[in-house]
This record gives sequence, C-alpha cells and structure tokens, in this order.
Amino acid sequence: MSAETTAISRPRRWDNPFDPDLSTADVERILAAPVFRDLDPNRFPPGQSLPDIVRNDARINRYQRGDIVVLEGDYGNSVFVILSGKVNVLYGYLPEIGRPPRRARRPFWNALAQLWRNSREIETRTLSPSARAVHMRANRGRAYLPDIERVIAEHSVTPLEHGDMFGEISALSRGPRTATVFADTDCELIELRWQGLRDLRARDPDLRERVDHLHRTRSLLAHLSESPLFAHLDEATIALVAQEIRFENHGTQELFPTGELPTESGGSLAGEPLIAEEGSLTDDLIMIRAGFARVTEHLDHGNRTVGYLKNNDVFGLEEIVRQWRGNGSVPLRNSLRAIGYLDILRVPAVVMERYVLPTMPEHLLPVAADTDIRATPVWKRDESATGIEQPLVDFLIDERIINGTQSMVIDLDRCTGCDDCVKACAATHDGNPRFVRQGPSHDDVMIANACMHCVDAVCLIGCPTGAIHRDLSSGDVHINDDTCIGCGTCSRSCPYGNIVMVEIADKAGTVITDRETGAAIRRATKCDLCAGQLGGPACQRACPNDALVRLDMSNPGEMVAWLHR
Amino acid sequence: MAASLTRFTRRRARNTALVVGATLLLVAITHLAETTLHDIRFVTGWTLFGLIVGLALFDLRRRIPVLPLGSASDWEQVHIYGGWCAVAVFLTHTGAGLPDGPLEIALWIPFVAVTISGTVGIWLSRVLPKRMRDHGARELYDRIATRRAEIAAEAQALAISSARDTGSVTIADYYQKELSAYFQRPRNALAHLTGYQGHLRLQQQQIQSLHRYVDARGHKILNRLSELVEIKDDLDYQFAAQSALRLWLFVHVPLAYGLLILIAVHAVLAHAFEVGPS
Ligand code: SF4
Ligand code: SF4
Repeated sequence: MSAETTAISRPRRWDNPFDPDLSTADVERILAAPVFRDLDPNRFPPGQSLPDIVRNDARINRYQRGDIVVLEGDYGNSVFVILSGKVNVLYGYLPEIGRPPRRARRPFWNALAQLWRNSREIETRTLSPSARAVHMRANRGRAYLPDIERVIAEHSVTPLEHGDMFGEISALSRGPRTATVFADTDCELIELRWQGLRDLRARDPDLRERVDHLHRTRSLLAHLSESPLFAHLDEATIALVAQEIRFENHGTQELFPTGELPTESGGSLAGEPLIAEEGSLTDDLIMIRAGFARVTEHLDHGNRTVGYLKNNDVFGLEEIVRQWRGNGSVPLRNSLRAIGYLDILRVPAVVMERYVLPTMPEHLLPVAADTDIRATPVWKRDESATGIEQPLVDFLIDERIINGTQSMVIDLDRCTGCDDCVKACAATHDGNPRFVRQGPSHDDVMIANACMHCVDAVCLIGCPTGAIHRDLSSGDVHINDDTCIGCGTCSRSCPYGNIVMVEIADKAGTVITDRETGAAIRRATKCDLCAGQLGGPACQRACPNDALVRLDMSNPGEMVAWLHR
Repeated sequence: MAASLTRFTRRRARNTALVVGATLLLVAITHLAETTLHDIRFVTGWTLFGLIVGLALFDLRRRIPVLPLGSASDWEQVHIYGGWCAVAVFLTHTGAGLPDGPLEIALWIPFVAVTISGTVGIWLSRVLPKRMRDHGARELYDRIATRRAEIAAEAQALAISSARDTGSVTIADYYQKELSAYFQRPRNALAHLTGYQGHLRLQQQQIQSLHRYVDARGHKILNRLSELVEIKDDLDYQFAAQSALRLWLFVHVPLAYGLLILIAVHAVLAHAFEVGPS
C-alpha cells in the first residue's frame, strides 16, 4: 500500500494554448488584423483580456497555393480570418484528395496486451508533462488540390481575400463543413478555435452580429446548394429564390425545455412551440436548417405524432405541389412543432410555384399522399410515418433520443444481463466501463446510458479547453483526457447524463489531488466508440444474444430493420 | 408480426438444416462403415474431441473482447448448433447406448450434464428476459440488494409511523410478524421461476383484510405497503431470473472443461489399448 499521495497543480483553461509557439509579435499582428482590430478591449475583464484570448485560442496558419484549408464534410469548430493572400470557396464539389486515414488503430499484439496491461485500479492515469497537448493541431495533414486550374475553370468558386472571415457555419452549428476552401495564392490565415470565438461573441455584440449575419446568409446558400429541390436551378435563379427566403428561430436552446421529461404524450407538446398549424393555409415551404421538429396531426382531443424532421428535411411540399397543380388552396395536413431549438427557412409558396416547381424533375415531386389514412380507426394506425410503431416513436422523440447517431439500443427481450458488453467496454478502456447498462426504456427497447454521439452535441458548447471535440472526419464526439481540466461543464450540459466525471488515481490507485486545495482531480469520461480499437465498438461485438446495437436515429429505417430482425 | 420471415427465423431454419444435414451424413457414413466392417470409432472420437475443443473456444472469445474476432452472437450460433452436431457425433460414437465401464460412465455423465445445462441455458436465455419485462423495470443485478434495502427501509418507516399516526398497532404488528422478514431477503425464487404467483396474492389479501381495522391514514399506509410488497416481489423476480441466468453458466462452463480433460485421457487410453497388444 502506498502511503504517498500524488499531488499536482489543478489543470487550468489555458495550460495548453492552441499554438504554444505563438509569439508576442504574432499576437500583436492578429490584434491589428481586420475583425480583431474592431474589437473593444475594454469589454474584456482582466482575467480574460482580449490579448489573452488571442494568445491562447488563435494561431496563424500558412498555406501554399492549392492547399486545402477546410474540406466539405469534415468536422471543425474554428473560424478563419484572411491575414494575407486569397482563398476560394468551392460549393458542392468534393475534390478527390482522398479521405484522411481513420484514427490510427493499434497493432494486433498491442490490443491483445491490453488483457494483462489493464490497470487493476479504477481510473488510473500516468501524468506526463509532455501530454499530447495540441490536439487541435491534429489536422488532416497537408491536403492539396492537384488540379487547381481545372477546378477553378469547371466549378464555380467564390473568392475571399484579406480581412474576410469563413468557417462560421460549422463553428456555430457544430455540424460538418458545408464547403471546401482552398488557397488561391500563398496565404496566411488566422485560425480562432471555438472557445475563443465563443468568448469574443459573448463580450462584443458587434462581432456577434457580424458573425451571425455571415452565418445566416452563407448557410442559406449552403443549404440551397445541398437541397435536391433546388439543385436544378441556375445560379441566377438561386440568387432570386434566396432573396425571398425568410429565416426563423424557434424554441429554446434546451432540448428539454421544462428541464424534465414529459410525463404523458399530451403534456409532451407543452414546451414545443407551434410553427405551422394543421388546416391553415400553406403559404410557405418550410426547410429545417438546424434542430429537430415534430410533425403531428389532430386526433380527437390530442395530437398524434406522425414523425420528426431534422436538418435538410422539408415540410409542406406536398401541399404546395397540389396547390400548383390546380387544386385551389390546399390546407396543411399536419402541424409542425419545434423540439428544443429549431432554425428554419421559409420559401414562399409563390416563389416555389414561379421558380422552382416548373423545372423540378418529376421524380422529386411528392406522390399524392394516401388520403384514406384518416379513415383508418385510431387503434389500427399503429405505425407512424417513420415505419416505427407509434408509441415507440413518441418515446424516441419525448426522450430526445432522435438526436443520437450512435445510440446504444438494447433489446430487453433478448438481453440476459450477462454484462459481456460492459466487460468488453471495460477491457478496452483500461478496466473502466464507459457506459451504464440502464436507461430509459419503452416496452422491449432500452436506450442505455452511453454517449449517443449526437447530431447536435450540446456538450461541446461550453468546454473551456476544447478537450471535448468532434473527430475531424467521422464527427464522433471524443474527450481528450490530456486537455480536460475536469470543470464538468460538458457533463452538466449533456441532456442525457452520458458524461461521467471521475476522480483520477495514480498507478497505485491513490486519488490524485490538487496541490493547493487537496481536492481530487477529476476528468470527464464517456463512450468513445472504442476509437483506435480493432473491430469497432466492443459492446456491440461482445453481445452473444444479438441484444445490443448502435443505431443512427436520424435514419428510422435502421431502427425498423433492427426491430424486425 | 412481420409478414415475411425475420432474419432470426431464417437463421434458425438455415442452422437447423445444416445440423440435420450433417447428422444424416454422419449416419450414412456410419452405416456404410458398419456394412463394410470398418471400425470408425477413432474417426468419430477425434471428430467429437475436435468439436468440443471448438465449442470451448467460444468461452475464450468472450474473454478476449479486445481483438476483432467476429461478433459474439455469430460465435454463439456456431456454439449452439455445433453443440447439437456434437450430440449427434456422441450418439454415433457410443452407439446410442448406455455406458458400461467406469471411464465410459465418467465420460457419459459430464457429457449429458453439459448438454442438458447448455440446453437449459439457451432456453432460459430466450424465455426469462421476456418474462422479466412483465416484472417491473430491469434492475442491474449488482444494484438489486441496494434497491431491496431501500424498499425495506421505506416499509419499516411506514410501519413505525403507523403506530404514531393511526394510534393503533395493527399495521406495526403485521409488519413485525410478516413483512419485516419478507423485505429483508429475496423470496419465492422457485415460485418465480415456475411462474407461480400465489404468494403475492396471499400477501395482498392479508394486507387487504387489515383495512377494516384501521382509520383513513391507516388505509393510506396499507395501500403503500401493498405497493411496496408488489415492487419487492418484482425485484425478487428480477433476482431469481438473473440468478438463474448466471447459475447455469457456473454449471455448464466448468463441466465442459472437465469433460475436455476426461476426453483427452480417454483418447490416450484408447490409443494405448489399440496398439498395446502388439
Ligand atoms: S455527451 Fe451527451 S450531448 Fe454529447 S454527444 Fe454524447 S450523448 Fe450527445
Ligand atoms: S470536464 Fe468537460 S467541459 Fe470541462 S474541460 Fe473536461 S471535457 Fe471540457
């Protein structure tokens, strides 16, 4: 037994700056650059001064002509400001530069050795001063556009130059990059990571407005270029359509607005603002830009959930098409409600009729819906439009499980409780399981308390160091143990309680403490989908009873196939 | 009910067909060997040994989750249907008769025990999870004791408060004589596993019969006690079912390893006696 205790200085926010080599001259250069020079230093408190934020959360990157700065589809949370040179933005064309290699997998023998190398004590750490600090630098390596002249000639590009900003869509929406940006000349870019941007936005309303304005206008174009409904339009028409589109934000940032799970299905709609009401005139096509929406229909004294919509889904298209085909004014068949927060775009029906529908390929036009559905008795309408049975779809929406891309779903009719999944998880995580085989359940479906790697990972917002982040290419949510300072912000923000704060220990099992206060040092832990392990998530492979699966809830078909397996 | 066959049904049909096919082939080969006066007991013996070693590898797979060795559920399918093949080979090898010598008996008994425990295990694994769903929320096995203690504490507090709040000792008395012990330990395991619910009905009736002796506050307490009895009964069900799901493995796995050792001894002796007389 070791009588000695390990004491360290409590890790702090800026222990690991974005670029440890950033010089004072560089900081001054950034502060004198566009965007930054407009900020008012007096708005920042002494402990978090403007130069401090720049010194710790910004860096200067240098690129050569043709270098890729960000690649469409990659995940990233930085914004960039052009310090010198020019870049081009490329929408809707993915250059063939090869995807980055997946996270390095450990060698076979190394994996096997885990069986005896795993620590006997819980949550042990080796504290090395040279910890992998600059995790954010783990870029894709230098990626290069091989045929830059041809790409510029064949695809429409938008040039950006000195002082322009880009990258704000992913930073604000926590989603993948919507366009590729490459260097048109040799250039220098200021890269500001999310933590810095968040603080600058919070303290400087002018910057906030500037970034949000950019976000609104650019994400509109990105959205239109991504949507198959507008893909057949030329640039001039898209610009005309874009001018007529209205943005709206609904709901709250909270996924559970009341802070509690709804108790019964009628009550579940209480915190979900109505955006479009069944029976009212179909004035607009509604496009979901971010967040989730519930589609309902009136049924007796309540509302029945028909399905849910997510990013890039549309509402009201069928009615608009019927109106356009000369059926007079067609009222909305369903209502639309915001689940948590919701960003939408409204395209006026007249704009759709004038510019979009006449040239839209026939296969994209919705087929006339089965109008007899309402004649079906209530008790027989047992499946929602998602193909999942009605009570289960209510459960998945009420519990906000629809946010998960890797939800751990357990079939209680087959789970014997052998805990092979938990043991497998522990074996791959130094003896510490990263989930609890319990959670909300409906009938035979249980959603275990394991990180779901959400579409909208709200746990990412508040982390002061960026320790919790998305994998650049897969978008999976990981925590960098070396840069986690144990503040617990992410754990408090995860609406599903899937991040567990643990006290860490040295190899002898003694809890490591803060030298100054004697308090235990903590770290955030959660499921990392067995990143780096051979063969993918061990939990799923370990279940001998076919009871456990990781499912993408944004694709109800996956769930349906699994339920009927 | 899905109209078309589910993946599980198709899998079961395919695997059963494979086992039946393999068994028929084995019977044909044995028959042929008998008519041509060949002794193929060494062939069937070694096949059986190989099969059982293969089946035992499943346990190894479960212990090495860190390697990409395929999904455990595929392994389990091979294990189950490979097990049935082993039974067919065993019957062929022993001529489907009862053992006679002491070593044969020593081999026969564990083989039959492993087969029975495996079959029971599969049956339990397919039946109990569904039944558990009808008995309260699924509780983690390691947490059952804590949950039981919480329920017991609440029941005890109710009983104590009943004496004070109702001014009568009826409830406290009943608690002392009947319920206190009931809440302390898991109960009625066998009844739960056989699906018998009489004990719960009896207990509820007894509690019900006390209602006439207490006032309005007493009714409330009795109602809650009745709920707690039911919650505890569900917990007992979870405990009984989850214990059974663990217990069969404690029988099946060590017996299987013991069987492997005995088979190895048997093989050595069989070869020794074959070449011995020369
Ligand atoms: S930690 Fe919570 S919010 Fe974050 S991705 Fe996982 S489940 Fe979603
Ligand atoms: S506890 Fe969570 S929020 Fe805090 S530093 Fe660690 S990962 Fe970031």
